[in-house]
This record gives sequence, structure tokens and C-alpha cells, in this order.
Amino acid sequence: MNRNNFFIHLALALVLVLVAAFAGQLSRWRKQWRSHVGPIQATEKKRATTTEEIALSESHFGRPEVLVKFKSGVSQQTIERLTALRHDRVEDRIENVEGLEAIDDLDNADAATVVSEYQQLAEVEYAEPNFEIELDAAEAAGPLEPILPHDPQFTDQWALANSGQRGGKQGADISATLAWATTTGSDKVVVAVLDSGVDYTHEDLIQNMWMRPASMAPYHDNELGTIDDENGFNAIDSAGDPMDENGHGTHCAGIIGAEGENNVGIAGVNWKVKIMPLKFMNAGGFGTTKDAIEAINYVIDRKKAGVNVRIISASWGSTQRSRALEDAIRKAYENDILFVAAAGNASVNNDRNPHFPSSYNVPNVVSVAALDRHDELAKFSNWGAKSVAIAAPGVDILSTWLGDAYEEKSGTSMATPVVSGVAALILAEHPRMSVDDLKKKLLASTDPIVALKGKTVTGGRVNAAKALD
Amino acid sequence: MAIDKNSAVENARNDLAKRLNVNAADVKEKSVEDDDFPDMALGAPEDGEMSGQMITSGWRIKLEAQGKTYEYRADKNQVRAYSFKGKNYRI
Repeated sequence: MNRNNFFIHLALALVLVLVAAFAGQLSRWRKQWRSHVGPIQATEKKRATTTEEIALSESHFGRPEVLVKFKSGVSQQTIERLTALRHDRVEDRIENVEGLEAIDDLDNADAATVVSEYQQLAEVEYAEPNFEIELDAAEAAGPLEPILPHDPQFTDQWALANSGQRGGKQGADISATLAWATTTGSDKVVVAVLDSGVDYTHEDLIQNMWMRPASMAPYHDNELGTIDDENGFNAIDSAGDPMDENGHGTHCAGIIGAEGENNVGIAGVNWKVKIMPLKFMNAGGFGTTKDAIEAINYVIDRKKAGVNVRIISASWGSTQRSRALEDAIRKAYENDILFVAAAGNASVNNDRNPHFPSSYNVPNVVSVAALDRHDELAKFSNWGAKSVAIAAPGVDILSTWLGDAYEEKSGTSMATPVVSGVAALILAEHPRMSVDDLKKKLLASTDPIVALKGKTVTGGRVNAAKALD
Repeated sequence: MAIDKNSAVENARNDLAKRLNVNAADVKEKSVEDDDFPDMALGAPEDGEMSGQMITSGWRIKLEAQGKTYEYRADKNQVRAYSFKGKNYRI
């Protein structure tokens, strides 16, 4: 070897050493860069999902795999060369989409980093992580946690939370505590209690009573004249004071909307709601068909005037059919108002012995049977596989009574406002829901009960939590 | 004013005597029992009457006159003739 050859070989050796050293540093730099790029934050959504129930958890890349779409014309040989250069491999080819490859990174780098690398290549049209698909956040978080109010007599409200108190069947309730994890109601929803009026001064109701807004004109009827309906409507006296002289209407109002979490008395199905009191039954607890119609007419008028009254709760009835009352209820339907009615307490089959208004064949009518604390049909309750829609707790129901009192009462009268209350919860969540959809939602939100099989349309007990799914 | 059991029976006897056109002394008290009625019209609504569907405690009063038995129903708010010649009456 001459002197010149020696220097040439020495220079080549140095170059090779430098190249090798530089390549090693490059590899280290690459690994460091990958480790410093954080995962994609959980803000994106998958471009397409099969159902609304499926959403993405973008922060959770369980497999370091990406989907890369190479541009048209890029050969498979080139694709394999590009992946091999990155110490990756083509795991699968998506035959129906030209150039789409599922690529696995053999260094176990996170998907976001690998995506970034491929996105920078001229040969690539797009690259994205192979997202894992899982249930949406609410489902993934597991079952809802029950919300228990601190109202002192809540533990006696088996209809809302049946822990087996007084020998009852645990869980034989409307799942109110789970529903409250979603909503406890809204003061934007108005429920008309068409009854013996309501003690609107009751300590557990006063905050949830509807009052005519000052901006709204008093009620005017061509025959009755102008009535100052500041607190509601009294059809018996054609007056504005709906004060309850019996207690029945006050009891029903408390079931729907006794103020919750106020450390007083009980909790209603809705902690927050607006109760519109209507009086057509007297101190004895009975009234005339004509006065019931007048009160329904009032509700429709107030709805047209802008009050968001969406539900009439009707815990009353008789076996006498009235075409006029049916027409008034149909008018309420045309004005998007649900009419929830007691099935009656004669222990008879309403399919054969109808009870009105619950048996009217009008789309907004929901007929309600009563259950006891054992999930049995109450011994007094009417039923009807075709004519009684749904059941709700209606035996030994604790609620508000005249004079800031609380009493336990039984009847389909008590089951009816439970269903009205659940309807109000639904509207709190879905304010624009139509009356048809509201009724469908109610009837689709039941727990099947053995004792109700063949006894009601749904064969189930209303479930407030399901109604808010 | 709230009605008690004794005044309910007395009201019922007087009403039946009037309907049958007999002396009140000729109307005998057969039985008076505490009972629960299916609604607030005590299961005896008049024509065109609607009532709260709440179980209501009261008294079932059975009276005898002219060899027949008649039923009245009462609570603290009311007294009703039940199915007198096929019809109910609030008195």
C-alpha cells in the first residue's frame, strides 16, 4: 500500500465511523422525539359511528396501530419500503379502499406519534389512529349514582325509594333517586293539578307554585268575565282563588312537586317544578263535569297565552261518560297537553266497565293503575289490558296535606301524580318533546311486573330513571 | 262542619223516612260499620258527579223500614243514600 492509498483508506474508515455514529444518534433522536409527543387529547370524535350510543375514547389507544391511506399510484413495494424504514409493518390491507393500510409500529410508539410521521410523507393522503370504540362516557362511567335528598320524611316515601321499609319489597319503586342523577326537574315545566285546588301556602309547596306572570293579562272568559288568576283558577266559584278545602289536591301536588332538598317534609318526584292549582272539586272531594271542563278550558287558554303548561294531572273520575268532557280533553291534546288520569278504585276491568276520563280514547290520555309496596296491583285498583296504560305506586303514599301537614293516602289518585311527575321530569330534560312522544316515552319506560301481566297495556311500573335514558 | 257517626245515622234515618213517607220512628238502625269506600263520593256518585279517586274512610249505615233494608254511606263531609231505587243521592 503506498502513502496515498493509506490516506484514502483512512478517510473512508473515518467516514464509515461517522456515518455509523450519526445513524445511531438519529435513532436515539427519533426515539426521544416519539417519547416527547403526548397522546391526542380526548376532544375529537370518530368521523362515523354506527349508533348514537357509540362514541370514542380518543385518549385511549390500546394498540399502537394506525390507518394510513397512501396516494393513488403509490406501489405496494414503496409502501413496504416506507414502513420498513420506520421499523413498522403492514398488518393488513383494506382491499376495498385503494391504498389504505393498517400499520403496526414495532417500536410500540404511541399512535399519535406514528400518525404524525406518516402525515409528513408526500406519498400519504392521510393517516389516523386506529381508534378504539367503546360506550359513551355516561355508559363507560358505570351506573348512575343515586341522589338522596335530606328531606326528613324522605325515608317514608317508599314510592320513590323502596328499601323494604315497613315490610315492602326492596326496589319496588320508580327509581327516583337514579333519575335525580340526571335531573331533579325544572321550574320551566308547569303541571296543572285539576283537583280540589291546592294549599298554595304549604311550606313544602310554596316555592314550586305557579303564579301568573305580572306581564300576562288576567284570565278572561266571555261568560265568566275577567278573573284575577294570580294563583290559579277556581271553577266552582268562577274565581281566582284555588285554595284547597279538602286536602286531596294538596296531596297530589306534593307527589308531583314537593320542594326537594329543603330540609322540610318530603321530596316530590320533581324537586323543582311549577304547580298550577285548579279547583273544581269542593271540600267533600267531588265536583261537576261542567266545572272540570271549565278548568280544562282555562288550562288551554293559559297555554295559548304563553304558559308552558304541558301536563294535566286528573286524580278523579266516575263511570259516567261525557262527550263534552272528552271533547275538552281532545282540545287539550291539540294544544300539546298530556292528560294523566286515575284508572279508578272499583277493582274492576276497565276494558269492560270503563271509568272516565281515564277510558276516553283520546291520544293524550294516560290511564294509571295503582301498585302497593310489594309490587302487587292494589286490591282496590281498576285494571285493563287495553284501557289502562301504566301503573305506579298508590298505596300508603306520604304527601302534603292542609295546614303544613303530611298524610299517607291510597288510591289511583295517588298513582296518577307519580306518572304526571315522571312526565314533568322528561320535559325538564326534553322541553320540546311533543305530547305524542311524551306519552310514548312514558309507556316505554316501565319495569315489567308479574302482577301486571295482562292487566295493563304496558304490564309495567313507571320507572323515572328509564324515562330519562 | 264535620259530621260525626251519630249525626250521620240521624240524617240518614230522617232522609229515608222522608223518601218512604213514614215516621222516622219506623226506621230502624240495622247496623253501622266503619268502612273504606273507593272514592270521595263514597262509591255513590250522583249523575254528572266526579270524585277524587282516593280511598275514603267512613261509615256504612244499614236501615230497615217496611220490611226492607236500605244502605247509606257517610263520612265527616257527607251522607249519601246508596242505590235507592237504583239511584244515588247526596243529602
